[in-house]
Amino acid sequence: MRYSDDDKALIMLSADATLKKRISAFESVEHPSQLYDDLSLADEMIAKMQQHGVVAITRLNELYPQSLLDIYDPPIVLYCRGNLDLLSSRAIAVVGTRKATRYGKDVTKLFVEAFVAKDICVVSGMARGIDSAAHKVALDCEGKTIAVVATGLDQVYPAENLSLAQEIISNGLMISEYPIGTTVHAYRFPERNRIVSGLAESVLIPEAGLNSGSMITAECALEQGKELFVVPGSIFAQQSQGTNLKIKELQGTIVTDPSDIVGDLQAKDEQEQIQLSIEQHMILDMLDSEVHFTELLEKSKMGVSALSALLSEMEIYGLIRKISGNYYVKCPMI
Amino acid sequence: MLAKLISYALSGVDGFKVEIEVDLNAGLPSYEIVGLGDTAVKESKERVRSAIKNSLFAFPLKKITINLAPADSKKEGSYFDLAIAVAILAASEQIEDRSYKDYVMIGELSLDGTLRHIKGVMPLLISALQAGYKKFIIPSANAEEASYVEGCEIYALDNLKSVVELLRDEQNYKPLETKRFVNNSAFNKYNVDFSEVKGQFVAKRAIEIAVAGGHNIIMIGPPGAGKTMMAKCVPTIMPDMSFEEAIEVTKIHSIAGVLDSSKGIVTRRPFRTPHHTATMPSLIGGGSNAKPGEVSLAHNGVLFLDEMPEYQRKTLETLRQPLEDGYVTVSRAKQSLEYPARFMLVASMNPCPCGNFGSKTQQCKCTANEIHKYVSKLSGPLIDRIDLQIEVDNISYEELRGGGEAESSAEIKKRVEKARAIQRERYKGSNIFVNAYMTNAQVKKYCALDKTCELLLKNAFEKLNLSARASTRILKVARTIADLEDSENIRPQHITEAIQYRSLDRKYWE
Repeated sequence: MRYSDDDKALIMLSADATLKKRISAFESVEHPSQLYDDLSLADEMIAKMQQHGVVAITRLNELYPQSLLDIYDPPIVLYCRGNLDLLSSRAIAVVGTRKATRYGKDVTKLFVEAFVAKDICVVSGMARGIDSAAHKVALDCEGKTIAVVATGLDQVYPAENLSLAQEIISNGLMISEYPIGTTVHAYRFPERNRIVSGLAESVLIPEAGLNSGSMITAECALEQGKELFVVPGSIFAQQSQGTNLKIKELQGTIVTDPSDIVGDLQAKDEQEQIQLSIEQHMILDMLDSEVHFTELLEKSKMGVSALSALLSEMEIYGLIRKISGNYYVKCPMI
Repeated sequence: MLAKLISYALSGVDGFKVEIEVDLNAGLPSYEIVGLGDTAVKESKERVRSAIKNSLFAFPLKKITINLAPADSKKEGSYFDLAIAVAILAASEQIEDRSYKDYVMIGELSLDGTLRHIKGVMPLLISALQAGYKKFIIPSANAEEASYVEGCEIYALDNLKSVVELLRDEQNYKPLETKRFVNNSAFNKYNVDFSEVKGQFVAKRAIEIAVAGGHNIIMIGPPGAGKTMMAKCVPTIMPDMSFEEAIEVTKIHSIAGVLDSSKGIVTRRPFRTPHHTATMPSLIGGGSNAKPGEVSLAHNGVLFLDEMPEYQRKTLETLRQPLEDGYVTVSRAKQSLEYPARFMLVASMNPCPCGNFGSKTQQCKCTANEIHKYVSKLSGPLIDRIDLQIEVDNISYEELRGGGEAESSAEIKKRVEKARAIQRERYKGSNIFVNAYMTNAQVKKYCALDKTCELLLKNAFEKLNLSARASTRILKVARTIADLEDSENIRPQHITEAIQYRSLDRKYWE
C-alpha cells in the first residue's frame, strides 16, 4: 500500500500522546501533513509494519469503515493484519466475561453459528473466555471474524491465544489503533472497546460479570447508538450479574434465540438419527439439568464401570457432555 | 606386627569390601588412619582408644598405622570402629587365635566398649554374602534386621569384650536364627480402609484400576473432598510385598536410617508424603552424604504428592527420570549412585488456587489468569506420565453420614491381585510386570484393537478434543480394565471407560 504525506503524518500522530490529544490535533488542521515537518519517522514505522505484514488504514483512506467514522472518537489510524475486505462487511460484536462458564460458551456458540450462517462478521476483543470462544466458533464454521486488540499487532495478549491470533490473521482480520511495538497496558482495553462496538451494528453480550470489561463495551454501544443485546442468566451466577443488571435497567434488548437478532434461520438439516439404546434413553431422561455421577449411578442401578463406559459412549455420540466435578449435562440440540 | 581384617562400607544400596590393616611399629606412640576416611572415620580413633581401655584391654603404646583399603575410594560412617579395635588387639597380640580372619566385622563403638546400632546393615550383609563371606559380627541392636538374611552365620553382640570372647571360643555363642519371612494381610494392619470412604465411586474405581495396572494417578478436587484419605488407602489394596520386594525396600530404609529396628524388615508397602516445600535433594536423593530421597523410600510403594502444583516446578521435573526408568541417579562430585525408585505416583491438586472452581456451592474467586497459571504449572511431559486423571466429588453432608456400607479394601485387593496375576503371566520373560510399563511395541502387541474399537477411539478423539498424547495412555488403561474383567481382548466399553479418566485432557479450565 502507498501512503501519502497525510497518511504518514497520521501514522506518526497515532504513536503520539493521548487519545484526546490525537483527536484534537487531527481536527485542528486541514491537512494532517501540516502537523509534522519531518516525516522520516513515519517511514521507519512503515518499514516495521511491512516486516509484520501490517497495513495502516487512516481516516483518509476509503477502506476506513463508515460505521467507525460515525462514532464520537474514531481512531486516527487502524492498523490491520489479515483480510481487509472484512472491514466493509456487516458485523455484530460478541463480547463477554473472561471467566466464561459452560453456559456462556454454549450461548456464544449458538449465536455465533447463526451469525456465520447469515454471513455476518463477528467482532470481538480476543480476550480470554467469551471473546476467544466467539472467534474460535466463527473460525471453526469458516465464518468472518475481526479481532480488535489493545496492543501493537506484533504482539499477542493473552499469550495463550497465540495460535488463535495466527488463525485470525490468516482467515480473518486483526486490527488495533496502536502502532507496532505498543505493549499491554490496562487503560488501553477500555479504549479498545469503543472500536469493538463502533465496528459493529450491534453488540451481543452472552455473559458478563458486574466488573467485566464488556460492561464498558455495552456503555460504548449505547453511547454510539448501537443496539445492545443481552442474554439473561441465572440470578445466582456471578458471571451473569452484569447482563442481568442491563436487563433490569432496561438498557439492553433481551435475546434468547439467535432469530431474535438475525431473523429466522433456515432450518438446519435434520440431525443424523442415532439409534438409542434403552440405557441411553434412560440417561437422557435423567439429565434434565446438571446431574452428578453418583445420582445417575443410583437411579440407573448400573455398575460404576458400566455406567462410565456408557456415559463416555454417549459423549462421543455428542448426546451428553461431562462438565467439571463429575457432573453431566445433555448437549443443547442446536 | 601386622593384622588384617575385613569390614564393609556402603555405596548407594550396595556394600563394598574394606580391608582394615593395622601395623604396630616401634617409635614414639602415635595413631594414624589413612585411606580417604571422612570425619566420622577419623574420629573413630578416639572411640576405639577409649573402648579398648574401658573393655579392660591394653591400648598399645606404639606407632599405630591403620590403612583402609582400597585407599582411593571414599569411606564414610562409623562402620569400621569394631574392625579397627579388633585389628589393634590382634596386632598387639591380645587375641592369639587367627580366627578373626574368618569374620566380617561391622559396628560402631561407644566409649565404654558397647556396640551401637548402625545404618544399612542389611545391604552390607547381602553384599558381603554375595562376595562369599559367611561369618559376620554385628551390633545386637541390628539383630532383627539381620535375621532375615539367609545362608550365613551372624553373631549379634553387645560389646567389644564379648566380641573378643567369641573370637577366643566360638562355642559359647550361637549365631542368629534366620527368620522366615511371612507376609499376609493379617500381618499388615493399616489404620485406614476403603470401607470408610463414602461415595466417590468414580475415584475409587479409578484407584482400583490404577493399582491393578501400576498406573500413576492424579486426583483433582476441592479442599476437604477426601483426596488425602483416598491416597492413604491406596497401599491397602496393593498386593502384599514379596520377600524380594521387602528386602529391596528394607535395604533402602536401612541406609536412610528410617528402618524400625524392632521390626527389622519392611513388610508394609511404603507410603511417602513429602511436603510441597521439599527440596530437590530430599525428593530425589543426594545431599552431602548422598542419602536416598523420598522417591527411593517410596520404592515398591506409593509416593503421594499433595497439592502437586504447589511444588517447585524444578523439583517436579526431576521426577521424570524415576517415573520413566524406575531408578534415580544421584550424581556427586566424586561418584554417582543409583537408587531404585519404582513407585506408584499418587498426586492431588485443587482445580484452581482457591479450590472452588466448578463448585456448585462455593464461588471461585480466582482470575482466569491465576487458574491458567496454576494448572499449567504441571508440565506436559510430567502429566503425560500420569495415566489416570480423575475428579473427586465434593461430597455433601448427607452423603458423608448416610449411604450403605462401602466395599472394603480386602475385597478390592482380591480383584487387583487377580488382574496382576494375568499381567505377570502375559509379561513373563520380559522385564515388566504391569501394564503401565508397556513400551510402544508392547502396546501394539497387547492392545490390538478390532475395527469397532478403532473407529470408536478415532471418534472419541475428534469429538472430545483429547490431546494426541492421550492415545497410548488410554490404551494402557483400557488394557488394565480388560484384565480386571478377565477379558482377553480390549472391548469398546473398556476404551470408553478409560476415556472417562482423562480429566486434564478435557480442558475444562479453558
